[in-house]
Amino acid sequence: MDKLASLLHTSPAIAWMVAKLVIVFAGVFSLAAVWTWVERRGSAMIQDRIGPNRAALFGKIKIIGLAQPLADGIKFFFKEDLVPHDANKGLFWLAPFLALVPALMGFAVIPFGRSFVSGGQEYHLALLDPGNGMGLLYPLAIGGMAVYGVLVAAWSSNNKWSILGGMRSSAAMVSYEIGMSLAVVALFMRAGGYDPSEIITAQGGTLWKVLPNWNIFHQPLGFIVFFTCMFAETNRLPFDFAEGESEIVAGFNTEYGSMKFSLLALSEYCHLMTASALMATLYFGGWQVPFVQDPSVMLSVLSFLVKMLFFAWVFVWIRWTLPRFRYDQLMHLGWKAMLPMSMVNLVFHAWRMSQGH
Amino acid sequence: MGVVVKKVELSWLDRTYVWPVMKGMGITFQHFLKQLFTPTAKRYTIQYPDMKKEMPEGYRGLHELKRFEDGAIKCVACFMCQEACPARCISIEAEEFSDLNITQGFEEKRPAKFSIDMLRCIYCGMCEEACPKDAIWLRKDYEVAAYDRLSLLYGKWDLMNTYTATDGKERIAQDPTPSVPRRTIAL
Repeated sequence: MDKLASLLHTSPAIAWMVAKLVIVFAGVFSLAAVWTWVERRGSAMIQDRIGPNRAALFGKIKIIGLAQPLADGIKFFFKEDLVPHDANKGLFWLAPFLALVPALMGFAVIPFGRSFVSGGQEYHLALLDPGNGMGLLYPLAIGGMAVYGVLVAAWSSNNKWSILGGMRSSAAMVSYEIGMSLAVVALFMRAGGYDPSEIITAQGGTLWKVLPNWNIFHQPLGFIVFFTCMFAETNRLPFDFAEGESEIVAGFNTEYGSMKFSLLALSEYCHLMTASALMATLYFGGWQVPFVQDPSVMLSVLSFLVKMLFFAWVFVWIRWTLPRFRYDQLMHLGWKAMLPMSMVNLVFHAWRMSQGH
Repeated sequence: MGVVVKKVELSWLDRTYVWPVMKGMGITFQHFLKQLFTPTAKRYTIQYPDMKKEMPEGYRGLHELKRFEDGAIKCVACFMCQEACPARCISIEAEEFSDLNITQGFEEKRPAKFSIDMLRCIYCGMCEEACPKDAIWLRKDYEVAAYDRLSLLYGKWDLMNTYTATDGKERIAQDPTPSVPRRTIAL
């Protein structure tokens, strides 16, 4: 790293920052692209179909259809980029970016591996170093921003289906965010801080010598609430009424085509990646490896990746298992079930901590 | 008369919604694993250009004009199929190919031209029913497609050679000379 930095006439810190940026954004982005393929192939397998397996590189190398995202990308680039006549053009152009940027930004604080010291300098495997003062409040805040992408896309395309979709998603957001935040607050109490590195450190070791000391075993109720809210947050199937293709055509992205649609679709998958990374960090010990006291850096990164990709797969899995809720049902669930549940969770753990556990 | 709707009482476990969701996920995952470990040949999907469906008995596909072992066409140009065809897609032009009056062993009439317009044909099988000589029949080939209309007007040789590849027969493009020499048959 030092050599590379001197070659580029920068300091190691800046070179490391740039490297991390490339790794994180390129990684999340390409994982999201691959996940479009995983989703299609996985759903096909779940429904006893085969799925996209024919896209081939140079017409020859098929590799179980992994070239499909590439082919899709090329196809989207060559499609007509249509803006409806009565759309608000500026906002219509802006909306895909408003959807994509928060989805990617949420990943910034999440440590994807343990910190290590090299050449007297400490390197952190997260875009923002621990102790930045934002901690996990940041992905929650950014997650709240994500609804703007949907809402702006819906409003600017001047289409009745779109507006219905955008309205649904904003109404839904109000109902799940509180329960989700309260569930996370209970985690902050347990860790004694809201920095992701503190939360991960608090999950090291074992619980009763048989289980890893992960938050899910301490707060299963909180996990269920948080998990459910993540589906609502990423606009995915049990709660995808913003899109609701069987009811309101394609909801907020009805009028979108070409690369703009592709960005909207990709942002959903980036959001999915960020959400699964959040879940892995908050409830499954982040980069901690179960029963390994001090994992090596590579092992910790691997552990994090496995957890994250598992949750990303669970998102796909659940999407093809459950039918869509009615959107008043989500509000019912949010206000009457998840909010009380996370309240109970919070109060119970506060009481336990006051008893000195 | 009203219909009595049975109201399902959910147990407390089902009312949590978490357990039923997990049961559902179990079912979908079973399907996922089953499909994942099924070899391609045994899956429900027939991946068409690579694999082809074996059509059932009695399927009516592309026609074939049958021939004798020496390659002579079985059709005697009796026009029965042309008359029977509800879509009127068959057109036949007959010719004499023997100068004998009494024929023994081979016929004196055969189609000079025999064409079926595959775009008109409805694959009803009436020509097969009507044929007194079993000279035309509908077989299992279903891939009838072309880039222009004219190439779907199948002629005599197209119809005789339709299934040569399938049956491992020789392609022919000419009527063979009659196997019994002319003039040798006694009157």
